[in-house]
Amino acid sequence: MAPVLTPERTAERLCELSADVRAAVLLDAAGAPAGVHGVAKANSRELAELARELFEAVDRAHRDLPGGPPEQVEVQVDRGAVFASRTPRWTLAAVARRTALSSLLLMDLRAVLGELEHGRPIRRSVAASEEGAPGPASEEAAASESPVPELGQDAE
Amino acid sequence: MKEKRKGPIGRAADLAEGFAATMRRMQREREPRLLVYDETGYARLVQPNGRGYQNLVETAERMVGLVEDAEAEGRPLRRVRGDAEAAGEPRRARSRRDAFAEEEDA
Repeated sequence: MAPVLTPERTAERLCELSADVRAAVLLDAAGAPAGVHGVAKANSRELAELARELFEAVDRAHRDLPGGPPEQVEVQVDRGAVFASRTPRWTLAAVARRTALSSLLLMDLRAVLGELEHGRPIRRSVAASEEGAPGPASEEAAASESPVPELGQDAE
Repeated sequence: MKEKRKGPIGRAADLAEGFAATMRRMQREREPRLLVYDETGYARLVQPNGRGYQNLVETAERMVGLVEDAEAEGRPLRRVRGDAEAAGEPRRARSRRDAFAEEEDA
């Protein structure tokens, strides 16, 4: 069984999940850092402070949007990109490479926050050629397998 | 429809146009870009003259700078030529020609 994701490990989990993430920070509802990964301990508080400022600036400027206050932010700058996502309880911000794909990174942020809040483990695929990889033993078994396993399980 | 230019001048003009387009694209890609998403995932592009644009871009730049500093600290420093000699380490040959010359000198 997969270990339960703790707030302290959440930033590290995001860095593991996405190769484009260089550093990440998780803030709690009060804006206090709950976990940092990718920067030295001395700089972790500053990174958390900046992440908090990011959403504060968003709230000041875009509070009155028709769809409600923004939940996610993406800022592309010259030397990198910053992505942040929040739920009522947590805010997760990541500094990524400039080449990172926005949609994938925002999805990763949501997935990690989902795992932290609801304990839903993120499903990761393993290459079939990897030794010991779980999967169908034969081509016939692979052909009979549903391409969307969740749908197959629901039907049973 | 754009008429295709023929001849060497036309080809040179096409090349120059392609180059200019590439430069414009690279410049556009380097420009800061800011998007906010609502809870349904609907994205809004914030224009450079939009509210909070400058503040948000500055904050993001500081975050990226902080991470760059951390990455630079983690990376071993590049040694420049002369450091080894200053530290009293024996000078290493930098090429086959240098090695041959050192053998000759010896």
